[in-house]
Amino acid sequence: MSRKLYSLGALLIVGSLLLAACGGSSAGEGTLVCQVTDTGGIDDASFNQTAWNGVEQAIANLGIEGQFLESQEQADYETNINAFIDQGCDLIITVGFLLGDATAAAAVANPDQTFGIIDVNYLDFSNVTGHDFATDQAAFLAGYIAAETTQTGIVGTFGGINIPPVTVFMDGFWYGVQYYNNENGTDVQVLGWDPAAQDGLFTGNFDSLDDGRAFAESLMDEGADIIMPVAGPVGLGSAAAVQERGNAWLIGVDSDWTKSAPEYADIVLTSVLKNMDETVYQQIENVIAGTPSGALIVGNLENGGVGIAGDFDVQSLIDGIVAGTIQTAP
Amino acid sequence: MSTEARALPSTVGFVSPTRRKVMGFVFLGIAAAIWLIFSRTTTPGVITTFTLNPGGSQNNFPDWVFTTLSALNIIAGLCALMGAYQLARGFGKSTNMVLGLVAGGFILAFLSWSAADNSLNLAGLLRSTLVRAVPITLGALSGVLCERAGVVNIAIEGMMLASAMTAALGGSLALNWMEPPYNLWFGLVVGVLTGGLLALVHALLSIKYKADQIVSGTVINIFAIGITSFISAKYLAKYRYLNNPGIFSDWKIPGLSDIPFFGPIVFDHNVFFFGMVTFLILLHFGLFFTRWGLRLRSVGEHPKVADTLGINVFKTRYMAVVLGGMMAGFGGSYFTLGSVGRFDEVMTAGRGFIGLAAMIFGNWKPFGSFGAGLLFGFADMLASKLAILGVKIPSEFLLMAPYVATMIVLAGVVGRGKMPAADGQPYEKET
Repeated sequence: MSRKLYSLGALLIVGSLLLAACGGSSAGEGTLVCQVTDTGGIDDASFNQTAWNGVEQAIANLGIEGQFLESQEQADYETNINAFIDQGCDLIITVGFLLGDATAAAAVANPDQTFGIIDVNYLDFSNVTGHDFATDQAAFLAGYIAAETTQTGIVGTFGGINIPPVTVFMDGFWYGVQYYNNENGTDVQVLGWDPAAQDGLFTGNFDSLDDGRAFAESLMDEGADIIMPVAGPVGLGSAAAVQERGNAWLIGVDSDWTKSAPEYADIVLTSVLKNMDETVYQQIENVIAGTPSGALIVGNLENGGVGIAGDFDVQSLIDGIVAGTIQTAP
Repeated sequence: MSTEARALPSTVGFVSPTRRKVMGFVFLGIAAAIWLIFSRTTTPGVITTFTLNPGGSQNNFPDWVFTTLSALNIIAGLCALMGAYQLARGFGKSTNMVLGLVAGGFILAFLSWSAADNSLNLAGLLRSTLVRAVPITLGALSGVLCERAGVVNIAIEGMMLASAMTAALGGSLALNWMEPPYNLWFGLVVGVLTGGLLALVHALLSIKYKADQIVSGTVINIFAIGITSFISAKYLAKYRYLNNPGIFSDWKIPGLSDIPFFGPIVFDHNVFFFGMVTFLILLHFGLFFTRWGLRLRSVGEHPKVADTLGINVFKTRYMAVVLGGMMAGFGGSYFTLGSVGRFDEVMTAGRGFIGLAAMIFGNWKPFGSFGAGLLFGFADMLASKLAILGVKIPSEFLLMAPYVATMIVLAGVVGRGKMPAADGQPYEKET
C-alpha cells in the first residue's frame, strides 16, 4: 500500500516536472535519470535535496527526464532501486553512504545498468561511479571561522549516524579549530567529537528534528555558542533552538542554509557546502556523452566540489589545504 | 485463579526474605561499584562543577562545586550503609523507594565522575528530561484512554505524525488572517482535530466493523507516513510559507519560576508541557475517581457485564478512542508547534511507539506512563551529556541507554503489568 502511494506521489511530481521541463534544450532528450533518496526525504534541505537539484538543473538545461523515489526506511533502498531498474532508467543515482550495500548488490545483478552513488568511494564496479567529497577541507574552514567567532570559547557539533560521510565533517571542523588555537594561542574547545576515538555525539537518525533541538540545547547548556549539526534535516531542529536562545550561531551543512532555510538566515554563521548537484550534473553529462562510468568523481576545495558559504577571508588557508601543507583530517 | 485473587492483597507491601536479601546485596554491589569503578580512578583534589541554571534562564543560582573524590566516597558509603541496614533489618515497604535512592546515588556518582575536572549543566539535563518526556507521555496517555476502553491503538505514531503536519500547515495558513501567536492556537486545534479524525477511522474500523485492531492501526500508520511525505515533498518543501508557523514561546509562571534551581526547570515551559501535566492529572482522577472513568474501565475489562448494567459499550468506546486520538493529536502538534516550528518527513521518528511502550511499562496508568516517559527522557539526555563530556563509551551503546534502562527497570522493579481484560477484543452485542 505504502509503496503504491509513494509511486503515485512520485509519478504526480514527475508529471508536473515534465510539464515544467517542456521547452528546455534537448541534448539529453530521452535520457531518464532516477534518484533514490535516503530516509531524510527529497526536501531535507540537505544532501537528498542538493543531489536532486543537480537532476533538476539537468532537466532544465539538458532536457532529460528525472524521477525520484523516497526511502522511508532502510528496507526501502533495495525495492526502490529495483523499481527503477524495471523502469529502464539510464542512470540511477543513489543518495548516501547507507545505500552502499543495496547499490552494490544491484550493480552486480545488473551489469548493464549505470549507477551513481553519493558519498561512497569503495565500490569498484565498471557500472558504478562513486561521488566522493573531501568535505573535511571545507569543514576545516568552518571550524577555523567558528573558533575565530566564538565568544564562550566552546563550539559544538553532533552527527546523525557514525558513518564516514558524517564524521568527515566533524574531523575537518575539529582540525580547523585546533589550527586556529595553534596559530593564535587560544584554547577553543570542541564538544561532541573526538577525532582520536572517532566517536562523539550522535542522534542515531536523520529524521527526528526534535532530537536536533534537544541536542543543540544540551550543547548550548554546556556553553557552546556555535553548533554544527551534521544530520540532514535534524539540524533544522537545532536551528530553531539556536534562534530561540538568540545568543548562538549555527553552521549549516551540505547546502547554503541561508538560502535553503531562509527563516534561519539570521543565525547561520556559514555553511559547509558539498556541491553534490555539480557532481550529479557532471555524471548526467557523462552519461549523455557516452563516457564510460566506473571512475570516482571527487569534489574538493580545488575544483569547487566543496566550499563554504558567505564571505570570509580564508584564501591563505585554502591555498595551504590545496597544497597539502595543512592537515584537515586524521 | 481464586487463590491468586485472595493472595494478591496480602502481597502488597510485603517483601519476601529472599527479595530483602537480594536487594541488600544489590545496594552493597552498587556501593562497591561506585568505589571500585569511580573512586579508585579519580585523582584526589579534582573538582566537579554542576551548573544549576538551565541555559537561557535568567535565574542566577550559584554553581555547585565540590571535590569529586570525597563526593564519590560519601555516596558509596551511604549506599553501603543502606545495604547493610537492608540485610540486617530490611526497609520493608520502602524497599523500592530506597532502591530508587541508591540508583539515584549511582547516577549522581557517575555524573560527578564523568564531569571530574569539568563542568556539567545538571539543571539543563533535568529540564531537557522533562521536555523529552512530553511527547512520549502524551502518546502514552492516548494509549491509556483507548486501551482502558478495550481498543488497542498502535496508530498513535501515525496520528502524531499526521497531526504534526496539519498543525504546521494550519498554523502557517492562519498567519494570513491572524496575528501570531493566535495562529499557533489555530494550528493546535487543527492538529488535535486531525488526531481525533484519524481516531474516528480507527474506531469505525475496530468497533463498528470489528476489524483486527492491529491491522487497522498499522493501516493508519502507513497512511499517515505516505500522505504526510507526499504533501511535504509536493507542497511544504516548495512553498515555504506553508511550513513556517512559528513556535509557542515559554511561559514563566510568575513567582514559581523564580524558585532557585527548580523554578526554571519545572515552571518555565511552553503550552505542551503544562498541557501534559494538566491532562495527566485530569486523566488520573477521571479514570479512577469518577463515574465516567469507572464506566470507561468496565467497558475495557468486561464489556458484556457493562452492557448488562446499561452502559452503552459502543458509545463509550467511540468516545474513548476519539479522545485518545485528540490526545495523540495534541502530542503530535508538539513536534511542529512546540519544538521546531516546521514539519519534516517522518519527524516523529517512532516517539509514538515509544509512548505506547511507556503505557505498557506504566501498567496502563497515567502516572506510570509519565514515569516511564521521564525514565526514557532522562536516559536519552544522560547519554547525550556523556557523549558531550567525552566519556569513553561508544556512541552506539549510549544510543541504547534509554532502551536498556527501560528494560532493566521493567524487569527489575515494575514486573508484569496487567492489561485491561477485554483489550483488543471487538464487542459483539448479543441480540
